[in-house]
Amino acid sequence: MTAEAAPSTAYDDVPYSRGGAAVDRTDAGALVQAAADGDAAAWKALVEGLSPLVWSVVRAHRLSDADAHEVYQTAWFRFAQYLGRIREPDKAGAWLASTARHECLKVIRSSRRLTLTDDPQLLDRVSEDGTPEQSLLDSEEAAAQSERVRRLWQEFEELGERCRQLLRVLMATPPPSYQDVSAALGIAVGSIGPLRQRCLRRLRARLEARGAM
Amino acid sequence: MSGTNHTDDRDDEVFGDEDWGDEEFDAGLLEEELRQAAAVLDPVPAELQQIAVDAYALHDLDARVAELTFDSLVDAIPVRGVTDVPRMLTFRAGEVTVDVEVTEDGLMGQVLPPQPARIEVLGGPRPGSPLTADDLGRFTGDVPPAGPFALRLRTGADVVVTEWLRA
Repeated sequence: MTAEAAPSTAYDDVPYSRGGAAVDRTDAGALVQAAADGDAAAWKALVEGLSPLVWSVVRAHRLSDADAHEVYQTAWFRFAQYLGRIREPDKAGAWLASTARHECLKVIRSSRRLTLTDDPQLLDRVSEDGTPEQSLLDSEEAAAQSERVRRLWQEFEELGERCRQLLRVLMATPPPSYQDVSAALGIAVGSIGPLRQRCLRRLRARLEARGAM
Repeated sequence: MSGTNHTDDRDDEVFGDEDWGDEEFDAGLLEEELRQAAAVLDPVPAELQQIAVDAYALHDLDARVAELTFDSLVDAIPVRGVTDVPRMLTFRAGEVTVDVEVTEDGLMGQVLPPQPARIEVLGGPRPGSPLTADDLGRFTGDVPPAGPFALRLRTGADVVVTEWLRA
């Protein structure tokens, strides 16, 4: 594992991108403007940069796969629709995250289509042999690494709901800003840092208890 | 690992500066490890991301967006014991209001003020299925929208598209 994520010690001064973000705040504003003016490449860059965030929000809410796909699409369709009309284009990430969140909450509310917290496909994906990513992990070293990733994921999945949700959003690529996380989960920016510390500490404790650290 | 003395859930409050730095460093590493795990085990499905790329076609500055102003899923008080209530939606763009009711059998609605309109039921960036609103603005469709949908209405020279929504 790389150690490139620059640790920040301040909660109230978290930069927009805490890692090597593909779409930082000024970029997002410029890309939204360019896309609104007809630049398809700018749109594609927005999708590529912000897709993992939208997906993370949807995944954090534990929807069924079908619902997850529909909410993801709805968020992007609406973003395309409002392109050029968005008041703060530099906050495109937060806009998408918030839209995805609200659609997730609607899905959860319309219980007829709610699938409860099982996510068999995801668990299968973790344990199954012969998946595409498995074939890449052939050497013994890679196998050990893959086992470590599998354990990490399993412990993450078994965290309490609040921590699981927060971490699922935080682990989007590139790392989302706390403003985006706030929009994604409806929690105050100021509480994200302490919650994150607590949840990561909890996860680490679980891994250590299983001898996986 | 230097941060192991702080893995207990109870010691949330007090850290010395030095411990704090260690703790944050370890947290950053673990978060990054999760990020890499997510990229392998739960990435954005490629075909789904392609749909988002194609959604650029939905960008239409000539159409007015009719915003959702009422959604029974959020704004209505649920009736106990009644399942399968129709989804009632109201969209508004300026003086034009569109009421829509989505049931298992399809959708029906009305454009207000009453006026004829040509309507397209969109399900994504491809052409949708056509409907017609009569002189009173009423319209019906016998296929319920599945997944994300929007209505594109032409009334005279005016084009209004309802906010995208998941049915």
